[in-house]
Amino acid sequence: MTVGKIISIFDISIEVVLDSNDVKVGDILQVQGNEKYRFEVVEISNTSATCISLETTRGLKKGAPVELVSNGIHVEYSDKVLGRIFNSYGIPIDKQGFDSTEKRRVDHATTSLQELNIESQILWTGIKVIDFFAPLQKGFKMGLLGGAGVGKTVLIKEIIHNVYTSLNSNAVFTGIGERSREGQELYAEMKESNLLDKMSMVYGQMGDNPVSRSKAVYAGLTMAEYLRDEKKQDVLLFIDNIYRFIQAKAEIATELKQILIGNGYPSDMASEMSKIEERINSNQNGSITSVQAIYIPADDLTDESVQTIMSYMDGQIVLDRKIAELGIYPAINVFNSTSKLVDVEKIGERHFNLVEQVLKTLTRYNELEEIITVLGIEELSEEDKMIFYRARKIRNYFSQPMFVAEAYTGIPGQFVKVEDVLNDVENILSGKYDDMDESKFLFIGKVS
Amino acid sequence: MNDIKDNVDRALDEIGNNQNVYATGRVVRVNKYNIEVSGLNDVSFYEAINVADKASGYIMGIYPNKVIVSLVHVTGEVVPGDLVYALKKEFKCQFSLDSMGKVIDIFGNDLIAGKRFEKLVEVPIENPTIPIMDRSPVTREFLTGITGIDLMYPIGKGQRQLIIGDKKTGKSQVALDAIVNQKEKKMVCIYVALGKTKKEVKDIYFELTKRGAASYTIIIASFNDELPTRTYLTPYVATSIAEMFMMQKYDVLVVFDDLKKHADVYREISLTSKKTPGRDAYPSDIFYTHSRLLEKGAQHIGGGSITMLPIVETKSGDITDYISTNIISICDGQLVLSAKNFARGEKPAIDYGLSVSRLGGSVQTSDMKKVGTKLRRELLSYLEVRSVYELANIDEMSKELQKKMKDGKVILNKLKQYKFSPKSKEEMKSDFAFLFDDNANASGTNDNGSKEQGNGDTNKNTSSNDSGSSNIEGEKNTSGDSSNSKEVKQGEQTKGTEA
Repeated sequence: MTVGKIISIFDISIEVVLDSNDVKVGDILQVQGNEKYRFEVVEISNTSATCISLETTRGLKKGAPVELVSNGIHVEYSDKVLGRIFNSYGIPIDKQGFDSTEKRRVDHATTSLQELNIESQILWTGIKVIDFFAPLQKGFKMGLLGGAGVGKTVLIKEIIHNVYTSLNSNAVFTGIGERSREGQELYAEMKESNLLDKMSMVYGQMGDNPVSRSKAVYAGLTMAEYLRDEKKQDVLLFIDNIYRFIQAKAEIATELKQILIGNGYPSDMASEMSKIEERINSNQNGSITSVQAIYIPADDLTDESVQTIMSYMDGQIVLDRKIAELGIYPAINVFNSTSKLVDVEKIGERHFNLVEQVLKTLTRYNELEEIITVLGIEELSEEDKMIFYRARKIRNYFSQPMFVAEAYTGIPGQFVKVEDVLNDVENILSGKYDDMDESKFLFIGKVS
Repeated sequence: MNDIKDNVDRALDEIGNNQNVYATGRVVRVNKYNIEVSGLNDVSFYEAINVADKASGYIMGIYPNKVIVSLVHVTGEVVPGDLVYALKKEFKCQFSLDSMGKVIDIFGNDLIAGKRFEKLVEVPIENPTIPIMDRSPVTREFLTGITGIDLMYPIGKGQRQLIIGDKKTGKSQVALDAIVNQKEKKMVCIYVALGKTKKEVKDIYFELTKRGAASYTIIIASFNDELPTRTYLTPYVATSIAEMFMMQKYDVLVVFDDLKKHADVYREISLTSKKTPGRDAYPSDIFYTHSRLLEKGAQHIGGGSITMLPIVETKSGDITDYISTNIISICDGQLVLSAKNFARGEKPAIDYGLSVSRLGGSVQTSDMKKVGTKLRRELLSYLEVRSVYELANIDEMSKELQKKMKDGKVILNKLKQYKFSPKSKEEMKSDFAFLFDDNANASGTNDNGSKEQGNGDTNKNTSSNDSGSSNIEGEKNTSGDSSNSKEVKQGEQTKGTEA
């Protein structure tokens, strides 16, 4: 049954004159008999509806009759999500056919205070610098921040490799506004190593229109909720990259001629983020641990949207271009990377004290580096010299060969136990390795 | 009989209502290249439009009682009241298969000959995105003939590798070198000049013709004095042409020179059509403008591929501005060119610390990967150590450090390469074979170095090696460095002209 016809089209926004009262915000409309043209209703009056186009508007005709398809985007809510790869609208894109068992609307209530469960255990990643400075906990939200091309995606893949494979639980990967090439690669790698059967993937990548990019996260969330609530699992939810969600929202807001805040971000950015982040929680059924990559536009850490996203995170790992420039990977800035677990009561006195000591040493190193560029090493006091050399060893030690980067570095990856990290750091600081050349600490696992 | 009568009646009715069966309207407002048209009712989004005999374009906005047309081709002045025809078909551009070796525009014109091609095919402005499952992994090497790239920051067929740097740091030159190196490699090369001067484009055309690269290269140009809408569309149309070749299983190389200019042109168009500006006054969809373009760079499951080398110009070496970081975050790596290295004579002026290839060794053959990973590690660690120990006394350094400082200088010298003098994989490997001589102590390296270079073909290698060893004697050698580099350049120049 038709509900109206199109009277205006501008890029992705479409205006429909309604002759029916059945249309609500969130409904999906389509041009009669043509699935290529589908829209979501975002605004409504008693005579017309403003919609955004899910796929394309190219070739769309003024006056075309429009019919009501469903009351919102639905995705599969059953075991059939596992091992499959979907687009933002819940349609499988792996060309393997699909019989739906049960579907659910993608927008759902957030976790209530009563349901929320915050007790949990530490989750070691085997990545030295993360386990030492910013350890993860089940149910955590870890933000992985970095500007363009400093290694966010490699690090998220390494965490998938180390945590997902060792934890043996279910996972959902949500690709938002990132490269299609990487989507293909991750799928192929997971398939090859027989890890796909416990994972679902959702992609709304950077070649897609902003509506697709803004919807991918809801589809991924719904699948994660299924695994947590119906299968009672500890679920890993990877989102690469949550900044792209806000970016897509900004594009849509511009097209809808809404009033924007600074740098072109939508005014409802914080409330939209809350609706997502407050669904990513643990309850009595199971947990959702999420690692979310956050792109830093123009290397500007104070960017409004980055700050907004950060306020939901339990921990942050900041990747730094200056460190990447030195060839040290993962290029993590240890001064900015931390998590709520770095607390004497949670990680224990020894670990906590070592973190403090290392930060102190590295801070002094940064000061010394400035002195050296002017005066040279010879002018330093014996004590400062010692700090200088040990700090360089520590800095090198926190580089690590990664499993997923083996093709690039040519060095096989290493999973390092946290006890080994603590011992090694203690030994470097105490001077046990003073005779070893600093280059021996670069791209190793534990010191052997 | 009744049918005809009905039709005539309807037509008469519509004319009576100021409508028209042939879908015509009138211009009511002209805002540069955007015009407002009334009377066009039965139209679709992106439909092709003609304005009298003066201009053509497409529908970019439909409203209840007007449409907005974006003009891309104008021959006369459009004024309110002009008759507008809707052509009942999607707006498309033209391309001729005879375009190899020519400078063309997106409307099927041969710009050097100054005439229209005879056999033309229609090309859509944009095709739908290439689905994830229609891609295969990027694994086949794409060789540029530049040592610093092929060994350390390799490019694969289907990769998008950004070339970024200030004015006059050799960005276009790297792309041209890559094109010239595709001779007899069955690549189709498309050089897309965006908002360049006519002089620059003609220069590039002559360079490529002179080096015998024109026979497999198409130059698609939009000049700086043309309509911004045209410059905006050109890279998309060029990509559609590249896709045409890719679907025929060809490997295609596309160079966009440059996308910063494209971003600026799009900003102008957006602000002219009163879109709300975002960061640096660029519209919010500036990322999508480039991401959907560069996502067409892919290894297709059918066998063909599109390799893309977009170029971005920066100001005073800052690669962290908005447009640069956007494009870096789209591409599979970036080759950063530094004005400082360029001035020092280290050409190509690659900043080895800031450059990245996200695909790295997976697009290299194992022999190249072995040399490349070692070389990159040695060089980066040298560059880091050099900045810290620049003032230290070399005699008091550990053996390892002394060797590192010495090797580092040799490496930097061997990476110098003059324009249009591509090296083969074998030459590159033999240049850096000395890195694998573990037994050599600090002085031994040198002997091995010169022995290995005996195999090399020109005296330039020897001279660079000499400079490497002589430089180590002195503590600081800024002057020595520059004189040596001159020597090297001359050596390479000779080689370049011989080839």
